[in-house]
Amino acid sequence: MDDCASPLLRRLLDTHGSALHATHARLGDATAIVKPPALLEVMGFLRDEPGLEFDMLLDLTAVDHLGEEPRFEMVYHLYSLARNHRLRIKARLPESEPVVASLTGLWASADWMEREVFDLYGIRFEGHPDLRRILLDESFEGHPLRKDHPKAARRPPVEPRQA
Amino acid sequence: MSTGPRLRLPGERKDGAQPDLHAEHQILNMGPSHPATHGTVKFLIELDGESIVDLDVQVGYVHRGFEKECESRSWYQCIPYTDRLNYNSAILCNLGFCMAVEKLLEIETPERCQWLRVLAGEISRLGDHLTRCGASCLELQAMTPFLYGIEARELVWDLQEMLCGARVTTNYVRIGGVKHDLPEGFAAAAGDLLAKVRSLLRDFDAVVTRNRIFVDRLKDTGVLSKEDCIRHAVTGPVLRAAGVPLDLRKDEPYLVYDQLDFDVPVGTVGDNYDRYLVCVEEMQQSLRIVEQCVDRLGALGPGPVDVDDPRVRWPAKGRVFEGMEELIQQFKSVTEGPKVPAGEGYLAIESANGELGFYLVSDGSQRPVKVRCRPPSFLNLQPLPLMVRGAMLADLIPTFDFLNMIGGECDR
Amino acid sequence: MAVRVVTVNRVAKLTWVERLYLPMILKGLWVTSRHFFRNLWGFATGRSEAFVVQYPEERVDFADAFRGMPVLVARGDGLPRCVACGLCEFACPTDCIRIVPGELPDDAVERTPRSFTIDMARCMFCGLCEESCPEEAIVMSREVEIATFTRDAMLYEKEHLLVPEALLERRLGFLRAEYGRERAPAAPRDGA
Ligand code: SF4
Ligand code: SF4
Repeated sequence: MDDCASPLLRRLLDTHGSALHATHARLGDATAIVKPPALLEVMGFLRDEPGLEFDMLLDLTAVDHLGEEPRFEMVYHLYSLARNHRLRIKARLPESEPVVASLTGLWASADWMEREVFDLYGIRFEGHPDLRRILLDESFEGHPLRKDHPKAARRPPVEPRQA
Repeated sequence: MSTGPRLRLPGERKDGAQPDLHAEHQILNMGPSHPATHGTVKFLIELDGESIVDLDVQVGYVHRGFEKECESRSWYQCIPYTDRLNYNSAILCNLGFCMAVEKLLEIETPERCQWLRVLAGEISRLGDHLTRCGASCLELQAMTPFLYGIEARELVWDLQEMLCGARVTTNYVRIGGVKHDLPEGFAAAAGDLLAKVRSLLRDFDAVVTRNRIFVDRLKDTGVLSKEDCIRHAVTGPVLRAAGVPLDLRKDEPYLVYDQLDFDVPVGTVGDNYDRYLVCVEEMQQSLRIVEQCVDRLGALGPGPVDVDDPRVRWPAKGRVFEGMEELIQQFKSVTEGPKVPAGEGYLAIESANGELGFYLVSDGSQRPVKVRCRPPSFLNLQPLPLMVRGAMLADLIPTFDFLNMIGGECDR
Repeated sequence: MAVRVVTVNRVAKLTWVERLYLPMILKGLWVTSRHFFRNLWGFATGRSEAFVVQYPEERVDFADAFRGMPVLVARGDGLPRCVACGLCEFACPTDCIRIVPGELPDDAVERTPRSFTIDMARCMFCGLCEESCPEEAIVMSREVEIATFTRDAMLYEKEHLLVPEALLERRLGFLRAEYGRERAPAAPRDGA
């Protein structure tokens, strides 16, 4: 369902219509679902285009829709300080290959948040300069925010470090 | 928390080249519970003499799986968990979460409830800033201002206790309402305590603001320019200190903030001194807001503080004891919990540290599919290496303090 | 309301007096000694305004709304008022309540908990059990001193939890004052 109520979405549909799966503005949050290969381009456009100027990547997270295909969904929340408007961008990633382009080149704030998503969901970010776990330690097995990671799982005890 | 590829052996250079004899860099581990890191965080610092060459911030020591836990709880049961995000301003976390759920449910809370929420939120913000300024002084070896700051915070928390029943883990805001209405005698107590807080703030100001040692340690240290703030999505007082007047209470007014009279303080340089001044000014503004709220609540007179929506609010207790219908409703509400319509929503409020957002996804059942908290501390901490690279080791302390990283919120 | 932005007053340059250290130290001493002498005066005259409380000799009085450890309300005959309905068990976010229901054949309520255990080490004093209870049977007391030497001692059984109603007057009074709370009609959110 395409909802063109938001001029932002209208603009995006006009210029990058073929890169989008769908758009909606439910609950007042303008949302565009982007095809993953086009993500970097769309994001670059949103950041640099005069009139859109999304200069802040406020939030970046993922959702695990276990049982659906594509399973993972990347969710980005953009904010424009200059124009005071918001936009949500989503992209679905398949379970077999959860890889998406890193946005660290566009917004520095993506760095830690992408590391967090990598840590908790196991989604890899292509082009990230330093992709390693951030909240959990290296010895942790699995990605706890995946729905199939049991909540009661205990992390393996840390072995004493070999001298 | 990971020790990754950035860890190098002492003396080993980034490019793997052999170091010169006198240029040997030192690796210093600071934290995770260094007394001067008032959050649990570890710094891996590469030092050249006393100046910082590079810094790796390792967070995650207080990771408790907030999001995972919420996914297995009913919406209602998540509220006490949000208390534990930012223990300095728990009400603001309660508020952010509940308002996000209300957004999904598309309900509007009654006017009195909105004023109460603003009142509680500002009390909480005041406590947060007082702790930040006080604790920072302590870590700069100024014990007395710390005591004044903490005394003022305790007074503010007295008000919080009157209102919510707890000083720290308030569990005050409910989906579609608040837990308690104003207790009797609150206005008088608030007038009293706020006067004391003001006088303590004056003393605090007299001791530190123009004190040479304090100014020398804060001025021009930890500078983060406007552009860097924006690139790193830094929000809150840190961003405002850099000169950007972004305050969601003004820019996207929620609750009744559009009816309140308050100013947005901004700095010019974006160093620690500006951050300190912005925080102090924000406390004055919060005091003003609290007073306006108390007046307004007095003028509004008694009224409902909850919406009458059986989906979210449990029936009034009095009726549960008497009526069969309400009893059944109570059983249903508690055992099933509110069912939130399928969908997603992001709602952000201005917390004491910046934009506190909640992104919720529901599939129409009793349990959330996803509860994402956009933690301001986490994002504000990220550019720390940028702020201290090239600075002295001692500058790391005030810089880190004025970022006010809260472990619970940063690591969730 | 228009956004009013105020730029903070940044001390561009300290005056030479301020840069001399000593006058500012004296000023600081003036502030701190004022506090000191005020507290001393209060101590001498018995009207102490000092903020610190000499715990455990002195104790603060918590507010009416205060939530301490959850306890069970005992009826006049010493039995718990609880009917083992299990709602608090459901509402508790940390799953720290365990109830084994039992029968009470000769009584009007017919049901009583055979055992009622709260793991205080896990309880976070959130008050949701109290809020959910349809019998006013579990309430938050004003008790907070629950430190123990072992974790096992944190398991509170029914016998430890039962408190006569008379001792809970203040909490029950506070709760009852809120029972008749009205609700505002649900208005749909306009726009966003
Ligand atoms: S106070 Fe909260 S955590 Fe404790 S028993 Fe009651 S519901 Fe459970
Ligand atoms: S909710 Fe009340 S009556 Fe029901 S089991 Fe708990 S304490 Fe007993």
